[in-house]
Amino acid sequence: MDLATFGAILRFAMELEGKAEAFYREAGFAEATAAAAKRLRLLEQARREGVAEMILEPITGLDTAAYAAHLEKAADVSRFEGACARFYKDAAAKLPIREVVRLFQRLALEHEATGAQAQESQGASRRTEGG
Amino acid sequence: MTETLRNFIGGEWTASGSKRVLDVHNPASGEAIARVPLSAQSEVRAAVAAAKAAFPEWRETPPLVRSRYMFRLKALLEEHFEDLARTVTLEHGKIIDEARGEVRRAIENVEVAAGVPSLMMGYNAEDIAVGIDEDCVFQPIGVFACVAPFNFPAMVPFWFLPYAVACGDTYVVKPSEVCPTSQSRLFELLDEADFPPGVVNLVNGDKEAVDALLTDPDVAGVSFVGSTPVGKYIYATAAAHGKRAQCQAGAKNCLVVMPDANLDRTVAAILTSAFGTAGQRCLAGSLVVAVGDVYAPLRDKLVAAASALKVGDGLDESVQMGPVVTRKSLDRILGYVESGVKEGAKLLLDGRKVKVDGRPNGYFIGPTIFDGVRPDMTIAKEEIFGPVLGIARAKDFAEALSIIDGLPFGNAASLFTQSGKWAREFKYRVPCGNVGINVGIAAPIASFPFAGMRNSFFGDLHGQGRDAIQFFTDRKVVISRWF
Repeated sequence: MDLATFGAILRFAMELEGKAEAFYREAGFAEATAAAAKRLRLLEQARREGVAEMILEPITGLDTAAYAAHLEKAADVSRFEGACARFYKDAAAKLPIREVVRLFQRLALEHEATGAQAQESQGASRRTEGG
Repeated sequence: MTETLRNFIGGEWTASGSKRVLDVHNPASGEAIARVPLSAQSEVRAAVAAAKAAFPEWRETPPLVRSRYMFRLKALLEEHFEDLARTVTLEHGKIIDEARGEVRRAIENVEVAAGVPSLMMGYNAEDIAVGIDEDCVFQPIGVFACVAPFNFPAMVPFWFLPYAVACGDTYVVKPSEVCPTSQSRLFELLDEADFPPGVVNLVNGDKEAVDALLTDPDVAGVSFVGSTPVGKYIYATAAAHGKRAQCQAGAKNCLVVMPDANLDRTVAAILTSAFGTAGQRCLAGSLVVAVGDVYAPLRDKLVAAASALKVGDGLDESVQMGPVVTRKSLDRILGYVESGVKEGAKLLLDGRKVKVDGRPNGYFIGPTIFDGVRPDMTIAKEEIFGPVLGIARAKDFAEALSIIDGLPFGNAASLFTQSGKWAREFKYRVPCGNVGINVGIAAPIASFPFAGMRNSFFGDLHGQGRDAIQFFTDRKVVISRWF
């Protein structure tokens, strides 16, 4: 789906974080659950406070298909977090409102870090299994 | 069964006794979502009486305490933000992002009004003569009222109410009978904020209610936003009854594009200006004036970009333009499209062909663009209040300016250019109150007045900002000497 409005972009971001929060809660990762919940709150606040006439100009070149990633098992985490990071980076480049751009850039970094951590622990667990 | 809206008078929710009731429709579906009573004059008088009774105590409430009510109201508005935005979209049709923007603007006015302890401060001078001092204080006046339009059903009353109440006046809102549900929802929050009974009042109604407000001797002033004929009527009637009035009226806003403009950014800004809120705002750009060589590339880019806009139900986040507010509005806009064709303008993009899946009864018309619009055509002179954009040509800046000069309105105008010289000339000469330089919607933020000139505004002090503080107060000068 094309993300052509500010609201559509924010909603997609909130869906990603909602998915993350639900998965991490189910998996028992308290820290990651709290981080996702905080990101959700920040996004909701950005949607409330960041909207003004000036930013209702059309946005082009963002599609949800480019960021599709499952999050059903631990092995999905790294890919999902990577997709989130890419989405936030791409969307930050399209949005004309500085506070929201800053937020998206920060969230991209958080997801990158979580993705890297997941990759590392997967690698470690493979090494343990192997040796 | 749909809810029948109630009035809020003297701190109580009361059912109107009026037998005259209208359906309120969701413009995206045509379905009735509420019923609005058209209150009798006696009900308006009861609201004014409640406001009058509340005034003496409210005016003595320290500004700092009144300001705390504003903080409380802001917190409630933030808490119910999304619900309010959805209510606006449901009754008006604008897309949810625009509705969120509207609610945000309403909140911003509450935030600015919360500064009333500073905003209401007077000034003084010692020794205006030997041993004599002079002070000027700002005092609240009494009961004020607002007659609101349909196009920003949540925001417009908040250009006035927070300032009036923060200044120590008491207030009566008469919302648009076409879109009254947002104000009902907002008044539930005002009720929750626990203002003393009678400080804020809501009366649903039509012209009968308006006339009751305009002629009631206990109403000190009226704020209005709407069309030019009604604005003139309200201004004249209010003045004849000794009231202050600020009447924001109709518009025909031009967007002048110079040959050196950044075309891609300009096209994006024009689209928002012309088709945002389906063109139903007094700041909407409805006539592009293309200067010199920019005409052909601008025209082509505009048509391509407008054709790509997604029209539909405003609650769908992917939609970029919603329906217009009523079937009657749709018919009026279609009439203007017909008149453009008859008078010889070239229809480059015909919004009449738009169909929205699953919404056969919605009041939809897509972005519509006319080329070859001349200043003498009806679509160049009159406010269409719909998603219809005309393109006219001018050989140079002076001719572009003369097109704006020739219009009776003076609400807004924008210039797109990279030249500081032209920008300065435009700001200096254009006879409009809200001016955009590379901005398509020149909407003043809450701390600035929402300006307007000529047939777009009747009065002297505008809504919002310092103008609002002055409108809702009297200056009292005290000259004192102690023997």
